[in-house]
Amino acid sequence: MSYLNETTMLALATVIFAAAGLLHFTQKYSSSIRLYMLQSCAISVLLIASAFDRLTPLLVVAITATITVKVLIAPYFFFGLIKRHELKFSVSAYLNTPVTLVAIAALLLLTRSDLFSSLAGLAAVDEKLLRLAFATILISLFLSINRRGALSQVLGILSLENGIVAFALFAGLEESPGFQLGITFNILILVVIATVFASMIFRKFGSLDVSTMKKLKD
Amino acid sequence: MALVILLATPLLAALSTLAVRSRAALLEVFAAIAAPVEFAAAAMIVVDVIGNGKSEYGSYLAVDSLGAVVLITVALVGLAASFYSIGYLREEVRKGIIGFSRVRQYFALLHLFLLAMFFAILTLSPIGMWIAIEATTLSTAFLISFYNKPSSMEAAWKYLIINSIGLLLGFFGTLLFLASSAESGMDRFIDWGVLTREAAGMNPMLAKIAFIFVLIGYGTKVGLAPMHTWLPDAHSKAPSPISALLSGALLNVAMLAILKFKIVSDAAGAADFSRNLLIYFGVISIAIAAFIIILQKNYKRLFAYSSIEHMGIAALGFGFGGLGTFAALLHMIYHSLAKSILFFAAGNMFVKYSSTKIARVKGVLTALPVTGVVLLIGFLAITGMPPFGIFITEFYILSAGIGGHLPVVVGVLLLLVLVFAGFLRHVTGMSFSEAPESLLSGESNYLTLVPPVLLVFLFVAAGFYLPESLNSLINAAAALING
Repeated sequence: MSYLNETTMLALATVIFAAAGLLHFTQKYSSSIRLYMLQSCAISVLLIASAFDRLTPLLVVAITATITVKVLIAPYFFFGLIKRHELKFSVSAYLNTPVTLVAIAALLLLTRSDLFSSLAGLAAVDEKLLRLAFATILISLFLSINRRGALSQVLGILSLENGIVAFALFAGLEESPGFQLGITFNILILVVIATVFASMIFRKFGSLDVSTMKKLKD
Repeated sequence: MALVILLATPLLAALSTLAVRSRAALLEVFAAIAAPVEFAAAAMIVVDVIGNGKSEYGSYLAVDSLGAVVLITVALVGLAASFYSIGYLREEVRKGIIGFSRVRQYFALLHLFLLAMFFAILTLSPIGMWIAIEATTLSTAFLISFYNKPSSMEAAWKYLIINSIGLLLGFFGTLLFLASSAESGMDRFIDWGVLTREAAGMNPMLAKIAFIFVLIGYGTKVGLAPMHTWLPDAHSKAPSPISALLSGALLNVAMLAILKFKIVSDAAGAADFSRNLLIYFGVISIAIAAFIIILQKNYKRLFAYSSIEHMGIAALGFGFGGLGTFAALLHMIYHSLAKSILFFAAGNMFVKYSSTKIARVKGVLTALPVTGVVLLIGFLAITGMPPFGIFITEFYILSAGIGGHLPVVVGVLLLLVLVFAGFLRHVTGMSFSEAPESLLSGESNYLTLVPPVLLVFLFVAAGFYLPESLNSLINAAAALING
């Protein structure tokens, strides 16, 4: 991380956090996917910076694979999904906008609580950055629970994963290239499977709204 | 070498399965060869662990006594489920429910599912274990939606989303634990041993937070309440042999992850905290399952809720500690056997009655004489009736808690009575009623009978006689957990 100054890192952490926050309020699927791309670009810069002084061929492969999956392949699949089914507007959330805002504010308060003060000791850089990453984790988790659209739920999961990666990087944790590749491979498979399932859900239920799926009530 | 064979066999079987273009018999041959080879490799590893305390290959793969207990269970259920799958899928093909491509997809995913579970047990890395357990979610999602119905699609989506979120939280907890080791250099490979040794220097509060995330994360996969909501849907919608594997094998693998982190968290000075948390989640799981079991209308969901109950009992045993830990490990083995028996019986009932509704299944003992007996034995076994093994393990687990947690023990006892009453009502209703006149009596084929019948013999025998070698293996595993 020594290749990035504090201001740049703070800017990147803010982008990651803001993207997760805005994902709660976007109306269009295309805007949600672009926000995820932006968040993934910020993560990519952090990943490259964290690995710059210990680059090995395998690490280069691992980082390239991670960036390719997050910034290119996942959005490609999602754009393909909305184009194939001519989807434009995202399905609404379970909670309305004011209540969602209150819930997000409550989650942000958690980053000021005792819970976080124990985690703050892990910070390899400024504690503020770790706080932003932790906030990203919490509001991404809330995003996957609160949104009714299948695609929005998947974007919530991927944003949660980005938040965890950011937290790990700010805490000075870098995994070995082999495991980095393993995690990236899992994300790729998750994206592919989730897209296929979302497509199947649309065909069976005529919508990506998961709240219309009520066949299991017995 | 057996460790490599154990991983290479399902991988080769999956690739070979995908290469088959038209002959379904070849798919069955691959499954029939792979499963016994995997079981033999697992048995060799367990023998090695009993003799040497550990079985390892290189710096990245190793099994200790705790892993060996889970490994032999997974291999045994995998063996039975593979053979049962052959007979079960033949019936589905014969009835025109599925075609060749679905059978190929099934076997390829089954092999990958087994591979992921074996890797989760064998890998020395906590991150490797997370990758493997996440891979089990991805490999089984299409098996849950196998019948392509709206309800199975819904179950698979729920499974995918809830487990992905849960496992990401587990991943976060894993990273928090790793952070303690990272302080002394992240450039090395951090295995379970390093993590446990260095946990002594970890901030106990951080260890508690990390364990909460791990327990919620992997607890989702174990089916501990309140993160259990995906489990009854997934287990009831998947083909029966997959339900047996999900209940009898996968839950144990996820529980293994929790136990490994419990060892680390205990070393960090959070032993009481982790034990109390396990008791809490255990009791909630038993309570929720007990009340739903009594009102259940679907026999596959009934067995699925029973899995939640039994994982709760195991969690309770680990929470009580001491003798409870030994009993909980043995309980996991017995539960795997009994639940596989029940899901295989459920598969035979589904083939015969084409329904999973309890109300539509009448006269099982007449229509399916062998399956009917298997179902009755499975019911008595899973509800903890003497002389079956689960009676003994539940007795030991509750005994372990009497000293320190008497109200919990009394409450759980009452809940177990409720579970028994629920099962009794449903199973007697299905078994002893009049079979519909239009239904032809008789079992479908021997391959759907041999696995459950052999498991019944094994289960009954294991209740009366526990080999000294297995006893010492479980004792060694319990000692690892108790510290």
